[in-house]
Amino acid sequence: MSQLEGFDLDVEAGAAAPSEGEWGALTTVAAGAAATLTACGGGGGGGGGGVPLVGLSTTTTTAPAATGPTAGIPVPGSPIVAGADTTIYTAPANDRDAARFLSQASPGASKTQITAMRGTTYSAWMDAQFALPRSQGHCDWMTAKGYATAGNKGQYKGLDNTLWRKFISSPDLLRQRMTLALSEIFVVSIDGLSLWWPQFSVGNFVDILEANAFGNYRELLQAVTRSTAMGTFLTFAGNQPGDPKSGSLPDENYAREVMQLFTIGLYKLNNDGTLVLVNGQPVESYTQADVSGLARVFTGWSGDPSNGEEAAITFQIPMIVSAPNYESGEKKFLGTTIPAGPQTAADAFKALNMALDTLFNHPNTPPFVGRQLIQRLVTSNPSPAYVNRVANAFINNGKGVRGDLKAVLRQILLDDEARNPFIATTIAYGKLREPVMRFLNWARGFNANSPSGNWDIGNLGDAATGLAQSPMHSPSVFNFFRPGYVPATTELGKYSLNGPEFQITNESSVSGYVNFMQRAVSGQGVSDLRADYGPLLAIAADSGALLDEINLVLAAGEVSAATLATLKSALDTISATSDAGKLNRVYAGLVLVLASPEYIVQK
Amino acid sequence: MRRMTRPSHHFPTIQPDNASRREFLRRTGALSVAASATPWALSLAAMGEAAAATASDYKALVCVFLNGGNDYANTLVAYDPSSYNSYTNLRSNIALPRDSLAATLLTPGAALPNGRQYALAPSLAPLLPIFNAGAMSVALNVGTLVQPTTKAQYTARSVPLPPKLFSHNDQQSYWQASAPEGAASGWGGRMGDLLASGNGNATFTCVSVSGNAVFLSGNTSSQYQVFASGPVPVAGVKSALFGSSACSAALSGLMIDSRSQLLEASYASITRRALNANDQLTNALNGATLGTVFPANGLAEQLKLVARMIARSGELGAKRQVFFVSMGGFDNHEGLGGAGGTHAGLLAQVASAMAAFYQATKDLGVSRQVTTFTASDFGRTLTSNSSGSDHGWGGMHFVMGDAVKGRSFVGTAPTLASDGPDDAGQGRLVPSISVDQYGATLANWFGVSASDQLTVMPNLKNYSARNLDFMA
Repeated sequence: MSQLEGFDLDVEAGAAAPSEGEWGALTTVAAGAAATLTACGGGGGGGGGGVPLVGLSTTTTTAPAATGPTAGIPVPGSPIVAGADTTIYTAPANDRDAARFLSQASPGASKTQITAMRGTTYSAWMDAQFALPRSQGHCDWMTAKGYATAGNKGQYKGLDNTLWRKFISSPDLLRQRMTLALSEIFVVSIDGLSLWWPQFSVGNFVDILEANAFGNYRELLQAVTRSTAMGTFLTFAGNQPGDPKSGSLPDENYAREVMQLFTIGLYKLNNDGTLVLVNGQPVESYTQADVSGLARVFTGWSGDPSNGEEAAITFQIPMIVSAPNYESGEKKFLGTTIPAGPQTAADAFKALNMALDTLFNHPNTPPFVGRQLIQRLVTSNPSPAYVNRVANAFINNGKGVRGDLKAVLRQILLDDEARNPFIATTIAYGKLREPVMRFLNWARGFNANSPSGNWDIGNLGDAATGLAQSPMHSPSVFNFFRPGYVPATTELGKYSLNGPEFQITNESSVSGYVNFMQRAVSGQGVSDLRADYGPLLAIAADSGALLDEINLVLAAGEVSAATLATLKSALDTISATSDAGKLNRVYAGLVLVLASPEYIVQK
Repeated sequence: MRRMTRPSHHFPTIQPDNASRREFLRRTGALSVAASATPWALSLAAMGEAAAATASDYKALVCVFLNGGNDYANTLVAYDPSSYNSYTNLRSNIALPRDSLAATLLTPGAALPNGRQYALAPSLAPLLPIFNAGAMSVALNVGTLVQPTTKAQYTARSVPLPPKLFSHNDQQSYWQASAPEGAASGWGGRMGDLLASGNGNATFTCVSVSGNAVFLSGNTSSQYQVFASGPVPVAGVKSALFGSSACSAALSGLMIDSRSQLLEASYASITRRALNANDQLTNALNGATLGTVFPANGLAEQLKLVARMIARSGELGAKRQVFFVSMGGFDNHEGLGGAGGTHAGLLAQVASAMAAFYQATKDLGVSRQVTTFTASDFGRTLTSNSSGSDHGWGGMHFVMGDAVKGRSFVGTAPTLASDGPDDAGQGRLVPSISVDQYGATLANWFGVSASDQLTVMPNLKNYSARNLDFMA
C-alpha cells in the first residue's frame, strides 16, 4: 500500500520568513490602532524564482520594503516595544493572561482551570504539569474496551475514540498539547496503513510521543524509528540490502525523511534558524549520496514476531532486526562512516545508534526542531532571537544535557516573545489556530464528555463536513500543513510570512468548519459529545456577560469590544425568557465567537 | 466596523435578458436543465460576466497532478526487444510482462528513431483510443530543469540544477512553480494573472478541485478552491442561526469584514471569497447534470466537476480557466507490483477518469478548447528496491484534447541502461524536456504571448526551443 494516499498537492512554500533586518521594517499596530498596509505594496508575493527558502527564516526574501507610515513600528522580537518594557512576565496578572498562557500550553481550558492559574506562576504551573502522572494509555484503553478482539482485526476501529478521549479529557494539559504538536512533526497516518492491527500500531505511536513529550529528543527519535507505525508508514520495515543480481537497492524513504523532516532539514542553518548563505546561496545539508548511505542503516528492521505475527501486541512493541536482511557493509553519510561489521542484530543496533546520534548532534537539529515547536504552540513567525534562545535550550538544558524537551518547552512558553502582552499586539504575531485545536478549545472549555464513554467522534478530516484535519489522519508524512507554507495572495503572502495552518484553509474548509462547529456546539453531528453549559446558561439572560465568558474561555479575551457589541446586539434578538431561548443564546454565542477571526488567530 | 444587519443574499435576483438566455441555452446544450426557473435566477454580477464572455472563444487548461511521484517505467513501458530487456533486467521483480503489452502498443504517426517502441501500461488501455484518434500526445522524459542539462553536466554539477531534486515537496513545488518551497506563485496562477482581466469575473479563473496548490497561486490572482461535491454553503448564513436572522447577519459580517492584524486579514480574505462566490457557483451548477458517465473514483469526480464548470463557463464569466485536480498514492516505494500491483490499479483510475473527461468535452462541444495534461513530483528509479521504486527525476506525461497534435511522441526516448547516457543513477532520468518548455507550449496555445511566456515559465529564457509543437 502506498503511505501517501491522498497526498495533497501543497503549495509547499518554504519559510520565506523575513530577515532580522526586515523584521524592523514590517508594519505593526499597537493595540487598537489601525494599520496602514497600502504603502507596503498591494501586489505582493514576489516572483516565483529566487533561492529556496525552506522551513526557516532566511535573509533572502522578496518581501516588499516598507516605507512611509509603515516603517518603524515593532514586530515580534523587535526592541522598539520589548526594549521599552523591561517587565519579566512570570505570573498572570489577570484572567486574560492566564487564558492566553493556556491557549499556548494546553488543548483548551475551562474557566475553572483558567482561574486556578491565577494563584501560581507560569513556571510553577509547568512544574506541576511535568509531574502529573499519565492517564490510561491509548493501547491500554483500546484493549480494555475490547478493540483487540478478533472482529476488529485489520481495522481502524478504536483509534479515533481513544485519541479524542485523551485530547478532550485527559487532565495532563501540557502533555496532551505537546503530544499533538509532536504528532505533526513525527507524522504517521493510519490511513492506508495495511497491517493486522493498524489501530494498535498507531495507538502505540501516540503512546510513544506522549511518553517522551517531556523526555529527551534522542530517545524520542529512537522510539519513533523503531515503532511499527513509522517502519510501515515510511516503508523501511522489511527493507533489504541491495541485491547485485536483481540490481535492487535499499528503500530510501525513511533515510530521506528522517533527515528532511525529523532532524536536520534541507539547508544548513544558523542557530537562530536563519539559513547559512555562501555566495548568497543556501547550502544543502545533505546530498542524494547521504540518503543512499543512510538507507543502508535502515535495513533488516521488522516487526518482532515472538508473540505471533498476527497478535495485537506485536504492533505495540519495537521492531527488531532480522539479521539476514541487514546490510552489514560500510555506510557513509553526513561525514560519518559506519564501518562494515558482521551481519548481526548487534551490528544493526550499533549502526542505528551511530546514525541517530549523528542526526541528533547535527547543528541544524536544535533550531530546526525548536522553530517548529514554537510555531506549533506560540507564533508562526518567531524572531531569529527567539529561535536562538529555544535552540540554546535544546543544546543545553543548563545541566549539560542536549535534547531535554522540558527545557525546550520552558524556553518556548516562558520566553518574553511568548509572554510579553505588548509583543502579542504586533501585527504579524501569533498563529492561526488549527481546526482541531478550535474543536478541542470548545470541548475542553466547556467540559465536554462522552455520554457513552466510548468517544464515538470519528475521523473529522473531511474539509466540507468536518475540520479538514483529524489527529493521525495526515494525508502524508508532510503533515496537514508545512512549517514554511506562505499563503500567497493573502496579507501574509505580501510579506512572505509563514502561515502553516493556512495550507488547509480554503473556501471549502472555512465554510465546513463553521457548519461543523454549529452542529457540534448544539449536540448534533457529534452525538457522542456533550458539553456542560450549566455555567453559561446561568448567565445567558445577560448577553454581555455571556459573551465575556465565552470570549475569555475560548479566545483569552481577544475578541474586541467592537465585535462584542455587534454580537451582543445580535444575541439580544433571541429571547432569554425560556430555557430553550437561553440555550439558543449559548449556542449562537459560541458559534459567533468560534467564527470570529479575532478568536481564530491565537495571539 | 461591523454592520448591524446584513441581508443573507448579497445581490438581488433578477431574470436575464433574452440574448443572455439564448447564450446560456447554447452553452448548456448538452446539459439536462431542471425545469425550474432557479438556474436563471442569476445575480447582477453574473449578468455582466455572462455578457463579457459571450463574444469570445473559450479555453481551459486542466492539470492532472499525480501526487507522490509517478513511476514512469511502468506507465509508458519500453517495448522494442532491446529496451524491454534493459527494463526487465533492472526491475525484474516489478516489471510488466512483455506479452501483456502488445494490446496497448502505441503506433504513432511518425515512428521513433532507432526502432524504439513504447506501450501504455495495460491498465491505461482506456487512453489508447484517444491516442489513436489523434487527441493525445506523449511527452517523453519531462522533468524539472533550470537549463538544458546533460548527464555529464549533472554529474559534474557544472550547470545550475533545480534545488532538492528527489524531494517530494520541493519537486512538487518546482513542477508547479519553477521554484522549490518558498514559491509564491505557480505557472497556472501566473497565466491567470495575465488572462483574468479578460474574464468577466476573476474569481473562477484559477480553480482547484483538490486542496491548495501553488500551481494556481498567482501574483495578483487567488485560486478558488472547491471540492468535487460542489461549493460548501454556510448553513448559519443561508438561514437563521439558531432561530435568529440577526445572528445570521452577524456571522456573515464576521466572515466578510476586513481585518488589520495580518493573520486575521489573511483568514478573512478567504472567508469573504467563500461567501461571495458560493451563491454564484451554486446557482451556475444548479440543476445541470452531464450526460457523460464518469467512473466512480476520486479523480473522476473532480474532473466531472471541472466539466460541469466548463459547461457553465458563460454564467461564471470565464473565457480562460486553469483547473487543478490531483490524485494521491503514487509514492510506491513498496508494493508497486506488476500487472496486479498498486501502481496498475492507480493508473486504471487515471485512465478511466481522463477518458471520461475527454468524452465530456466532446459531449459539450468543447474538445478543441480544453487541454488536459499530467504532471507529478518526479519520475522514479528504474532500478527497483525490494518491491517498488525510489524517488527519481524525469518522467512520461500525457497531453490530451482535440487541440493536441495527437498520436505522437514529443521529445527523445531515453536510453534505459544502468549508467547509460540518460541515467542519473539507479535509472533516474536526466530530463530532456523541461517543465518550462512543456508549460510554455501549453501557455502559447492558451494565448499567452511569447514575451509573457518568459514570465510564466521563468527558466524558459535558457531555452532556444520554446515551443515543443505538440499543440495545434
